[in-house]
Amino acid sequence: MILIVNTTENTKITDEIRIELESRGEDFEIVEASSMKISHCIGCNYCWLKTPGICTIKDDYEIILKKMVTAGQLWVISDTALGFLDYKGKNIFDRVMPLITMYLKFKGKQMRHVLRYKNIMNIGLIYRGDGDREYLKRWNERCALNFGSKSLGVFPEEEVKEAAVCMH
Amino acid sequence: MHALIINGSPRVKKYSNTDKILSKFTEGMAGSGSTFEQYEISDRLQWEKIRKAFSENENILIALPLYVENIPGLLLEFLSTVEPRNGEAQMSFILQSGFAEGCQLRCGEAYLEKLAGRLGCSYGGTLVKGDNFSIRLFEGEQREKVTGRYTAMGRIYGRDGNFSDPACKAFTGPEVFPLPIRLLVGLMMKTLAKRGFDKAAKGWGCERPLGDRPYAVR
Ligand SMILES: Cc1cc2nc3c(=O)[nH]c(=O)nc-3n(C[C@H](O)[C@H](O)[C@H](O)COP(=O)(O)O)c2cc1C
Repeated sequence: MILIVNTTENTKITDEIRIELESRGEDFEIVEASSMKISHCIGCNYCWLKTPGICTIKDDYEIILKKMVTAGQLWVISDTALGFLDYKGKNIFDRVMPLITMYLKFKGKQMRHVLRYKNIMNIGLIYRGDGDREYLKRWNERCALNFGSKSLGVFPEEEVKEAAVCMH
Repeated sequence: MHALIINGSPRVKKYSNTDKILSKFTEGMAGSGSTFEQYEISDRLQWEKIRKAFSENENILIALPLYVENIPGLLLEFLSTVEPRNGEAQMSFILQSGFAEGCQLRCGEAYLEKLAGRLGCSYGGTLVKGDNFSIRLFEGEQREKVTGRYTAMGRIYGRDGNFSDPACKAFTGPEVFPLPIRLLVGLMMKTLAKRGFDKAAKGWGCERPLGDRPYAVR
């Protein structure tokens, strides 16, 4: 399943993606997150050490988390701030900790956390506004490393068609 | 020298590793005759005060935990609301994280340099160091062992007002661990560290295995 989380108010992007993916018969779900109640991560570590896999913050993020467990691709659509994703986009990533366990291992030369679920979720970004694309690419690749997955690429909203080509 | 210090952790001050690091770091600063004022991003009631201090101070030091390879969402939210400076202030950073190797923090560090520029400040460098996850699980001497080394770095920052000193670069430790260490640490993670985490979890009242899969599709 392709999971698309739109943290912007612009639903034209998701409309375009929906039409494209429907025409190809892809299995996908779109979450319009900008109107949802999603807090930042407060770093309590409960999802690792007290209630394994369950976030202590009871808000709409749980809807997304449950879908991530079966998503083969995650696409986050985000506004930008200070050259990076804005805080709403970043919070989608920070809140992902329940998918990862406390346990550690080496993957290649670097330490990583052991994933909680068997599912591998590749990740892509679509950003609106003044984002530093080269940096976002580097960052997205680092994120993918932590999920034991691959980066699907980073696209400005003008290139949503190119991004859609990578959604399958 | 006087510095504005912002703890950029979303975790409340009492449990924040960054806070424990800062208390050692600022001891060193005081030793160099410097003064500071410190605020916490985790407390939204302080945001207005921090914005004002940000607009007035020449030396701004943000200490933060790495959150998914970059700055925490809450710190990003705060920084999106400050008025950029006109080049008359300098921003420096203390970046600390869970993973121990220097290479884990480089992506976050690269952003911090860009961030200083976006906020109209010159860049005073970043003190980079991982292996800090357990500060909150440690007490007494064990905690002192991890946080104590920041005092010397505070002394340098208090003296120079930046992190250009070679000792600050060396503070990071190894970029990656050599293979024999990886094998040894890898084994420890499966045994000693795993038991340590299981024990910590028991102490927190955890009733399920740490690897449990509550949302698994059966
Ligand atoms: C949401 C979240 C994301 C994190 N991401 C990383 C990471 O990408 N790399 C890393 O080495 N540590 C990561 N950590 C670990 C923290 O940086 C580390 O535990 C730090 O010492 C916490 O400091 P604090 O108590 O002041 O918040 C993460 C922790 C949380 C809660």
